[in-house]
Amino acid sequence: MTINPITVEVVRNAVNAYADEMANALCKSAYNMMIYEVRDFCCGLIDTQGRMISQNRGGLPIFLADLGIAVKDGIERYGLDGFALGDVIIMNHGLVCGQHLNNVVIYAPCFHEGRVVAFAASRAHWVDIGGSRVGFGSVETTEIYQEGLQFRSLKIYEAGKRNETLWQIIRDNVRFAEAALGDLRAQIAACQLGNRRYGELLKRYGSGAVTAAIATIWDNTEREARAFIAKVPDGVYEAESFLDNDGRTLDVKLRIKVRVIIDGSRMVVDFSDMNDQVPGPTNSGYSGGLAAARVAFKCLTLPHAPVNEGCFRPLEIILPEGKLLNARPPAALGLWSIPLPTVIDTILKALAPALPDRIPAAHKGDMGGCSFSGFRPDGRRFLLMNIFGGGWGGRPREDGESASVSICQGDVRNAPVELQEMQYPFLIERFALRQDSGGAGRHRGGLGVELTYRALARALANVNCERTKDPPWGLYGGKPGAVNEAVLMRRDGSEQKLLKATSVPMAPGDRLIFRTAGGGGGGDPRQRDPRKIADDVAKGYVSIEAARREYGCDGR
Amino acid sequence: MSIVGIDIGGTFTDLVGYQNGVVVTAKTLTVPADPTVGAATALSLAGCDAQSIRELLHGSTIAINTVLERSGARTALITTEGFRDVYALGRGNRPDAFNLDFRRPRPLVPRDLTFEISERMNAAGEVLRPIDADAVAKLGRQLEALGVEAAAICFLHSYANPAHEIVAGDVLRRLCPHIFVTMSHEILREFREYERTSTTALNGYVGPRVARYLTRFEEFARAAKFSGQIAIMRSNGGTMSIAEARRQPVAMMESGPVAGMIGAAHLARLLDIKQAIGFDMGGTTAKTALINDGVLPIEEGYVIGDAFTGQPMQLPVVDIVEVGAGGGSIAWIDNNGGLHVGPVSAGADPGPVCYGRGGEQPTVTDADLLLGRLNGNRFLGGGMTLDGAGAQAALAKLGDGAGLDALTTALGIATIADGAMSLAVRAVSVNRGVDPRDTALIAFGGAGPLHAVAIAREIAIPKVVIPKLPGNFSALGMLMAEWRQDFVRTLIGELDRLEPVRVAQAFADLRDAGIAALKRDGLSGGTFNFAADLRYRGQEHTIAVAVAGPDDLVGAPAAAETRRRFNAQHDRRYGHAAPDQSIEIVNLRLTVTLPRIDDAISRWLSTPWEAEPAAPAERRAVVYADPARPVEALILWRPGLAAGVEAKGPAVIEEPNSTTFVPPGDRAVIDPWGNIVIALSERE
Repeated sequence: MTINPITVEVVRNAVNAYADEMANALCKSAYNMMIYEVRDFCCGLIDTQGRMISQNRGGLPIFLADLGIAVKDGIERYGLDGFALGDVIIMNHGLVCGQHLNNVVIYAPCFHEGRVVAFAASRAHWVDIGGSRVGFGSVETTEIYQEGLQFRSLKIYEAGKRNETLWQIIRDNVRFAEAALGDLRAQIAACQLGNRRYGELLKRYGSGAVTAAIATIWDNTEREARAFIAKVPDGVYEAESFLDNDGRTLDVKLRIKVRVIIDGSRMVVDFSDMNDQVPGPTNSGYSGGLAAARVAFKCLTLPHAPVNEGCFRPLEIILPEGKLLNARPPAALGLWSIPLPTVIDTILKALAPALPDRIPAAHKGDMGGCSFSGFRPDGRRFLLMNIFGGGWGGRPREDGESASVSICQGDVRNAPVELQEMQYPFLIERFALRQDSGGAGRHRGGLGVELTYRALARALANVNCERTKDPPWGLYGGKPGAVNEAVLMRRDGSEQKLLKATSVPMAPGDRLIFRTAGGGGGGDPRQRDPRKIADDVAKGYVSIEAARREYGCDGR
Repeated sequence: MSIVGIDIGGTFTDLVGYQNGVVVTAKTLTVPADPTVGAATALSLAGCDAQSIRELLHGSTIAINTVLERSGARTALITTEGFRDVYALGRGNRPDAFNLDFRRPRPLVPRDLTFEISERMNAAGEVLRPIDADAVAKLGRQLEALGVEAAAICFLHSYANPAHEIVAGDVLRRLCPHIFVTMSHEILREFREYERTSTTALNGYVGPRVARYLTRFEEFARAAKFSGQIAIMRSNGGTMSIAEARRQPVAMMESGPVAGMIGAAHLARLLDIKQAIGFDMGGTTAKTALINDGVLPIEEGYVIGDAFTGQPMQLPVVDIVEVGAGGGSIAWIDNNGGLHVGPVSAGADPGPVCYGRGGEQPTVTDADLLLGRLNGNRFLGGGMTLDGAGAQAALAKLGDGAGLDALTTALGIATIADGAMSLAVRAVSVNRGVDPRDTALIAFGGAGPLHAVAIAREIAIPKVVIPKLPGNFSALGMLMAEWRQDFVRTLIGELDRLEPVRVAQAFADLRDAGIAALKRDGLSGGTFNFAADLRYRGQEHTIAVAVAGPDDLVGAPAAAETRRRFNAQHDRRYGHAAPDQSIEIVNLRLTVTLPRIDDAISRWLSTPWEAEPAAPAERRAVVYADPARPVEALILWRPGLAAGVEAKGPAVIEEPNSTTFVPPGDRAVIDPWGNIVIALSERE
């Protein structure tokens, strides 16, 4: 069916706007900062084969891969005829979704002329999903069963009627139930909104025209992505890097090995030589590997276009079962996303020889978060979560950005200092750029940050530092950036380095100091413009000593 | 006795005045080197006698352009010790998520002009470390030596207790009288250190240049023998004195786009439209706002410049959604043969192809001309002839790339532009839980009335209103702006568990601040409206709910009413509510307004319409749905249409600065006040 290009453009704008609209509604009425502040969620429209019609902008890039997988599981279970108007499905199953269980998918069928034509879906990070520790990301787990409740494609509403049994199971088994159920309500409302809008569009243009328009949009998007890959020289490109550990055995590094094959307009990411799955919780399911490959692919091909199914058609991945990024059950998945920034950076590094004018040096490479839990004087539990940035790698044409969240985190925002101090028993003594953390290079790596928490009451700290051993690498002759670190400084002055640790007790007066990694440098430091070196010294990004050491001059 | 509004934009300087019972207008080119020259030209074109002008209202893009061009003052930033980088760190986010070449917002103050002072408050406003006044004095001398023109002071938790900022500000103002000093708590007393710092820095950065400009404007007015009041438009839809604009230049930031919406709000009240959507289509963008009960919607916070890399400004602005589609938006074909419109605009120079000023890429205006909807001989009242052949050739050339003929391409461009603009209208209506079938679209701006009905049809708005003087409606709206100032105090707690003393204190503080602001401008009286930012416990985002006084937050029965209204608003906006959950308050807000003494323009809007002698109707072929079958449209001259006259579409209603298109089947009528009211026919 040929389709009027004008209808295509109208449909394209509309379906993207609906996804954004769902995201806005969810974000504004959510109950936990992982959604409203960290934007750890996504919303979109999925077709009846599990393909992505549209997804919201902003939010987490690594959620590129997986609304479809979740919806497909429900379609297989119920059949398209097995859905009724008013059904709402809840899904977070570890094996299928491949992520930590806090990421709960809610979706609802969209009906048009009596048939299911699509699903509006949203995935959001719940503040707690039960399990052995408060919140998420305990480093102690070895099996998914320790990490909380699992729902595999269950109907939490059937034809508009709430499943009270399931609702109560959730209420009784998660911490901060008020927040979890609030987020659940917000997710359901977002899906209903998406379905209402999509239904209106179908009514206006007819289901045949809309479907044809979507197919055209996918084809066009695919063609644009292929046009970019076709320009990359054919070849097999490889790179390797290392993660610190699996969260439990802290002195065994994990090998990240990727092979990228460019063949005409096709790109294959081969993870066959990746580390095997690990006993600790840094595994992900298949969707982890898929997400990493997709983020790298999207950054290279169509960084500005809205996301849809067509974006990724030229991309294939090879990912055997039993690997770190495609773990078999009952692997623990609590820290599923921790390897992903490094995996993405490694894919980019592999392609650096082919795309020297596009690929930056490595960025800070971890997810940059911390959390503190405890009890308020009135007995209520609190959980403070924050995510903060670090340095990005020097780029082919300019310095790396400083203090920015990882490549997996997009529109994720740090929590305001004033907000944290207002709501939690901590004093933040310092939040600053970390001098000399950016890797030296013609284009310097961006700076990491320093952040100091002083406890004002008893609390338990969770730290998940990664890349504390292997620094963000330089490229094209640039030097590496500084590694991530976290130091616990007791009130008595004693210090202890923390790598990955769960529920570390803190007493009033104890400090936890985070220093995030800087980006690697791009290009030979000796080629850096002396005026830039002088400016770095004047502004304090680089100390005089480091300037002399790394660049052989202080710019004066 | 007269009043005059002058809006100096990037391209045109617009004037609307009311003198001796007559409305006068003028439009002239802006003179960037000295904008007051354009203002003088406009006054003389309109035949205004400056001596008789009682009040001059002025809107200017000076503040926002200073930021966009980064041409502001050498500004220093002073922070709490340990937080020198608060402004550079920002929120750490990368909204442009897949862009490896992303950029974070670039601070307006460089790190080597950012200084820490030893001091610290906690969130309760208690002093943890006293401020070192000697260190501030020493810093002051350093700033002078560095040639700093402006200093912005923003300390942690100063919203809770500004004492340290006041100490620092007093020292600097005393020691360095030539430095323009801004303290964050004077601009806003609301938590979130990055956004508050950015707002304070913006004020400092634009301050000296805006002050010089305002001085120049005053001189111009004095030289023209003007002896009345000057009022400056601000982003919240109100006005302020020149003195206040010097103190708080950041409040001028969005003074341009709001004025038209003020006019739309007045019209909504006059016509008793409960839910109106203001729609302003200019050359580069289209702007929309939802107007409930004739009240302008206000949003707390805004980004100056690009959404990804711009500067946050945490002050109230009229909540306007903008899309990059206007008369000058350029149409283009992508590699797949897909047709797109905008966001690049041909602007006024070279402008659309049909302007004949060197433009080669076809725009929405070119499409409108080719479709016969726009009359090439009556553009700007006949002041400019449009080149139809040029437009046709450019559209034919563009269409070749997609296998479309010129007319089909033109129709496609109009349809795509309408689709994009209808998304903006949707963003302020359906996206907020408003059913468009219960609204009316009030359309203005030179091109607005041409596209309004198509947009209304797209999302099922049944009624479109085209006001008088739609092409000059923004300058007109300015003449109805009230004096207005907004205040905020962070006040955290649980509804009906708040300490009554704290609540009473917060109300009293705000009231005192409002009275002081009135007094500074030599005013008294005023209307005081309070609102509380509420949310369910655990949520972050809030909804502002109107409250009358402390009792609405602490007394049991009234607080229950506040709770009920919050639940209802939450349900309407987000589709769910939780009536059994605790509700938190975050901020208390106050808006002080002073109604205009002079309501000449609102009276003019509500005066019975008197038409000129009718001009003979003409007929012309206009393309509507099918390029192969143009429809024969009635062509009418608006000034000659008396109240009650009806026109059934297809019709084109022309007037000096605008054109209204009434599609087949729809029906336009001139209402008793001279507005065109179009009822859309029902059809699938």
